Amino acid sequence: MIPGTGALHPLLIEFPFEWTYIRSIVYVSLYVSLIAVALSTLCSLPVALLLGFKEFRGKQLLTSIINTGMGFPSVVVGLVVLFAVSNQGPLGSFELVFTREAMIMSQFVLAAPVITGVSLAAVSSVDQGVRDAAFAIGGTRLDVALVTIKEARYGIATAVLAGFGRAISEVGSVLIVGGNIAGPEGESYTRTLTTAIQLEARQGRFETAMILGALLVVLVLLVNAIVVRLGSDSGGLR
Amino acid sequence: MTLDVTDVHHGYNGDPVFEEVSLSVSPGEVVAIIGPSGVGKSTLLRLLALFERPDRGRIEYDGTDVWAAPERRRLACRRRIGMVFQTANLFDASIRRNVEYGLRVRRSWLERLKWHLERLTGEAPGTGETLEALDVVGLADSATQNAASLSGGEAQRVAFARALAYDPDVLLLDEPTSDLDPRNTAVIEDAVLEARDREIGVVVATHDMNQAERVADRVAVLLGDGIIEVGETATIFEAPRDERTRKFIDGELIY
Repeated sequence: MIPGTGALHPLLIEFPFEWTYIRSIVYVSLYVSLIAVALSTLCSLPVALLLGFKEFRGKQLLTSIINTGMGFPSVVVGLVVLFAVSNQGPLGSFELVFTREAMIMSQFVLAAPVITGVSLAAVSSVDQGVRDAAFAIGGTRLDVALVTIKEARYGIATAVLAGFGRAISEVGSVLIVGGNIAGPEGESYTRTLTTAIQLEARQGRFETAMILGALLVVLVLLVNAIVVRLGSDSGGLR
Repeated sequence: MTLDVTDVHHGYNGDPVFEEVSLSVSPGEVVAIIGPSGVGKSTLLRLLALFERPDRGRIEYDGTDVWAAPERRRLACRRRIGMVFQTANLFDASIRRNVEYGLRVRRSWLERLKWHLERLTGEAPGTGETLEALDVVGLADSATQNAASLSGGEAQRVAFARALAYDPDVLLLDEPTSDLDPRNTAVIEDAVLEARDREIGVVVATHDMNQAERVADRVAVLLGDGIIEVGETATIFEAPRDERTRKFIDGELIY
C-alpha cells in the first residue's frame, strides 16, 4: 500500500487546504483552459471550413500538420513555447515566462489541432445539398459557412470538449511555461489543478492529491454537461 | 423579372455538357426543360441559379449580364431566384426555421439580430410570409414540427415553401417530384401553378412528360448537345418540328 493512503476513509479526511488556495487553483485552471479553448475554437473553425470546402495549394501539408499536432507531446510544446517567450525567443520582449498568458499559449497549441481535426470531420460530413440550398436561397459565402457550422454543431461541440479535455488535463507544458507558482499566502498564480496534484503527490500528500483529482473530474463533467445541454437546446430549433 | 440565356456553352474538364443553349422565361410563365437523365438539365439549372459561371455565353436577369456585373449586383440577382432540388436538402431545424431562412438572409446583420431578439420576446417577424408559403403546400399547421421528422414528400413540400416564402421572381425546380408519390406530386404541381399565378417565372426540369404537359406553358427539349426545340406545350407534344423530339416523347429514342 502506498504510504499515506490508509487515511482515505471519507469521514476521516481532514481537509488540508485553505479555501482560498483551492479556489485560486480552480480559478487559474478554468481561466487558462477556457481562454485557450475559446481562442482555439475561434481559429480552428475557419481553418476546418477552409480545409473542408476549399481547394488550395498546401492543403495536404496543412492537414498533415494538424493531424500531427493532435498527437504533439505536451512537454515538447511547453519547451517550444518556453523558448518563444524566453529572453532569447521572438516573444521575449513581452516578458511572458511563468505567466498565465504563456500557459494559455501552450494550451492553445495543444488544443487547436484537436479542435480543428474533429471539427473538420464534423463539417465535412455536412451534406453538400444543404450547403447548396443555403446558397440557392440567397445566402452569401458567410451564410453558407454559418449554416454548415449549425448543421455540424454536435460534432463541433465534441471537438470543443475534446480540446477542453486536452487543455485542462495538461501537466507537462503548463509546468514548464507556468512554473507551478503559488504566492506566500497560498494563492495560486500559475498553479493549476493538474500541477497541484502532481506537487501534492510528489510530496506524499495523497489525500490532498486525490481530493484535487476529484475536483478536476467534477469540473470536466460540469463543463461537459453544460456544453451537452446547450447543444440539445439549440437542437430543438423552433 | 425576365430571364434570358443566350448561347451558353458549358462543360467539365474539357468535356462539353451542352453547347449553344438559348432560352428565355417571362414572369408568370412555366417553362419545362425535358430531356433524358444525364443530358445536363441539372447543370443548366445550376447555371441559372448562378452556382457557377458558364464557359461561354450570357445569362441575363432583366437585361443585366450577371457574370459581367459586380459581385453585389450578382448577389441581388441571385436573391430574386428561388430553387428547389431533387432532394429536399432541409436544415436540421423546425419547418418554420427552414422556411423563414430566405427571409432572414435578405436582412442586414443588425436586422437579423433584432429578428432573433424579437423571437425571444414574442412574435417573430416574417411569420406571416412563412405561414402563407407553408399554406400553399398544405403544411401551415406543422410549422413548429422538426424537419427531420417529415416524410420525403412533406420535406419536398417544405423545400418548395422555403423557396416561395421570399416571393422570388424566378423559381427553378430541378426534378422536384421525381421521388414523390402521386399525392405529394399533385401538391407540388398545384404550388407551381400558384407560383405562376403570382407572376413568378418558373423553370422546371423534368423527365416526366406528363408533368411537363400538365404544368408547362412552354417546353424546351434538351437533347444531345443542347436545346433542340422550344415551343408551346401542345405544339411540342402534338406536332414537334424536330424528329428527335417526337422520338424522345414517344420513347423511341434510347440514350
